[in-house]
Amino acid sequence: MNWRIITTLIAKDFSLFFRKKFFAIVTVTGLIFYIVIYFVMPGTVNENLEIGLYAPVALPAFTEIQEEGLEVKTVESDDALKEGVLEGMYVAGVSLPADIMEQLGTGQKPTISLYFTPDVPKEMKDTVALIIRELAYVQTGQPLNIDVTEETLGPDMSGTPIPPRDRLRPLLAIIILVVEMMGLANLLSEEVERGTIHALLVTPMSIKELFIAKGLTGTGLAFGQAVLFMLLVRGFSEGPLIILVALLLGAVLVTGVAFLISSVSKDFMSVLAWSIPSFIILLVPSFSILFPGAITNWIKILPSYYLVDTVHRVANFGSGWGDIWLNLLILLGYCLVITWLGIFILRRRVQ
Amino acid sequence: MSLKRVGIILGKELLHGSRGYIFIFSIVAPVVISLMVSLIFGTLFTGKPKLGVLDEGNSQLIPMIQELDTLNLKEYNSTPEIRQAVESGAVDVGIALPASFDSSITGDGKAVIEAYIWGESLAKDRSVIAVTITNLIREMTGQESPVDIETITLGDEVSIPWGDRLLPVIVLMAVFLGGLMLPATLIINEKVKRTLEALIVTPASIGDIFTAKGLVGLIISMFMGVLILIINQAFGNHPLLLVPVLALGGIMAVEIGVILGVLLKDVASLFTVWKTAGIVLFAPVFIYLFPEIPSWVGRIFPTYYIIQPIVDISQLGGGWAEIAVNVFVLIGLDIILLGLVAFILKRTQRFSN
Repeated sequence: MNWRIITTLIAKDFSLFFRKKFFAIVTVTGLIFYIVIYFVMPGTVNENLEIGLYAPVALPAFTEIQEEGLEVKTVESDDALKEGVLEGMYVAGVSLPADIMEQLGTGQKPTISLYFTPDVPKEMKDTVALIIRELAYVQTGQPLNIDVTEETLGPDMSGTPIPPRDRLRPLLAIIILVVEMMGLANLLSEEVERGTIHALLVTPMSIKELFIAKGLTGTGLAFGQAVLFMLLVRGFSEGPLIILVALLLGAVLVTGVAFLISSVSKDFMSVLAWSIPSFIILLVPSFSILFPGAITNWIKILPSYYLVDTVHRVANFGSGWGDIWLNLLILLGYCLVITWLGIFILRRRVQ
Repeated sequence: MSLKRVGIILGKELLHGSRGYIFIFSIVAPVVISLMVSLIFGTLFTGKPKLGVLDEGNSQLIPMIQELDTLNLKEYNSTPEIRQAVESGAVDVGIALPASFDSSITGDGKAVIEAYIWGESLAKDRSVIAVTITNLIREMTGQESPVDIETITLGDEVSIPWGDRLLPVIVLMAVFLGGLMLPATLIINEKVKRTLEALIVTPASIGDIFTAKGLVGLIISMFMGVLILIINQAFGNHPLLLVPVLALGGIMAVEIGVILGVLLKDVASLFTVWKTAGIVLFAPVFIYLFPEIPSWVGRIFPTYYIIQPIVDISQLGGGWAEIAVNVFVLIGLDIILLGLVAFILKRTQRFSN
């Protein structure tokens, strides 16, 4: 194998890519927009229900509540409570009547007022009403004859929930990789259709060297952009080496798919026609991260699942090599099979 | 300009162009996305905690939970099934009710509930589920609520659910896929296949040709905009006002499409622009998805002036008074773009020479 020829072809492809100012500029602009999307997404999660309370008398069940997920803040007056609700400081305001103790003591039913803004959905109003009713039960000392045994499944993220932007990170990384897949598929398809691939083959370059050069160009472009993106969105703060390996395998995977697409495509429109379904299929596993539980186990047959799952688990849960080695192994297997298949079919077409 | 010639070219485009990939994509994609959003996001983004229940008997608790608005309930048939659901995040909390659950809580014995908690579930969701179940059990045991609750709504704003917040994304996609991509690809294809020169030597002027191609985009754009509003039943109190707004939005899309069609050499470049600069067109939708973003950010982008009037009419019940300013800005933008189209056409003399 002649590496000098391979590097010359890679250098030529890269040079052509960046000499074409249009492509260079839009590639950079695209990357910037993905980064902007990341930073526009909420970076924190409010996992507490913040409730404002006006209690003219001390009711321990209400004022000293220590319930996980509830944050009760007391205010000085009913007006301050309404103002806090309107300003969005509390999801609801709870106003207790001044004579609540007397009424409860004499067996009467006091009326508790709940304040909401109009954009609060009905289910939230019902939820707060349920909470207040439960606190009243506790205040009046009514027992409940149940025992609850709890088991937390998966890492307990209570107190440190994953912000939406970090759930989005694997999706954006894979979009960057998959978009490059279309570019490479188009490049290869054009070379075949215009016959320039045959022109290259009459030079001392072998077909093997041609595929290695094209593969390295595609992988390099996809991998480089994905790495840059992850660097800028702090995606390497946990397990950087594992994420690098995963992204590299992801770049090889999309290059393999690009070979496959270009082997069956005749022009840009057919590249597009094949790329869109591939794009959607490869993107689906990312939605299992964005919307957990929405997709069942069948997504594990998709190769991109092992990339997305690895990036998610390492970046968001701090998983190590021991936790995700199987993911990487399966991803490598997919890479080898798809890339070999792509080269095999494309080679038959070229020859 | 000859209306007859425009009509002939338009007819040809609609007849032959409708077999093209972009034509089909412009129609299918928004409809599929709209249906998916209605089906998936309608429930995923409600923010309700998700409770899974494994009922080994025939507990009265289940129908009581089903009647509530506060939780999304899913039932499971075995312990491994409910554990798997919790582990994957399909539910926030899963509870297993023993066969004797109802008799235990109403009798002297102590009922035991096994609860599985998804590690990533939010603390407030765990709380809401716990409180809800406790309340229902109290109800089952005949305990009477010690208090009455009075709900008071403050202010006079109108709430917008998640399903509706996503509507601007789909409407904008429907308008721009057809309005921008169709004329652009039609023009580029004529250039690539060198059939534009052939057309120009006929009596049809360059104006006739580009008007016909623009009209194809406008028709599909408006058709799809209206279709998406029909699918989502979003017409508001003044449905007829939506038509001119969609038309003005379609005109903007067509003008951008014509400019891109003239400037770009091939469809590959067009898609590169769509994938990158497309975000500028869709940027305003983020202010509807995430109200935390200041609304002035949206005003920077031209498509805001299409989307805001549509939202005003279809979701906020607004009329002409509410949309007038934005519509006039939209008309202004359309006129500026029209001038730009004329300028670019004039500069690219190669079309007419």
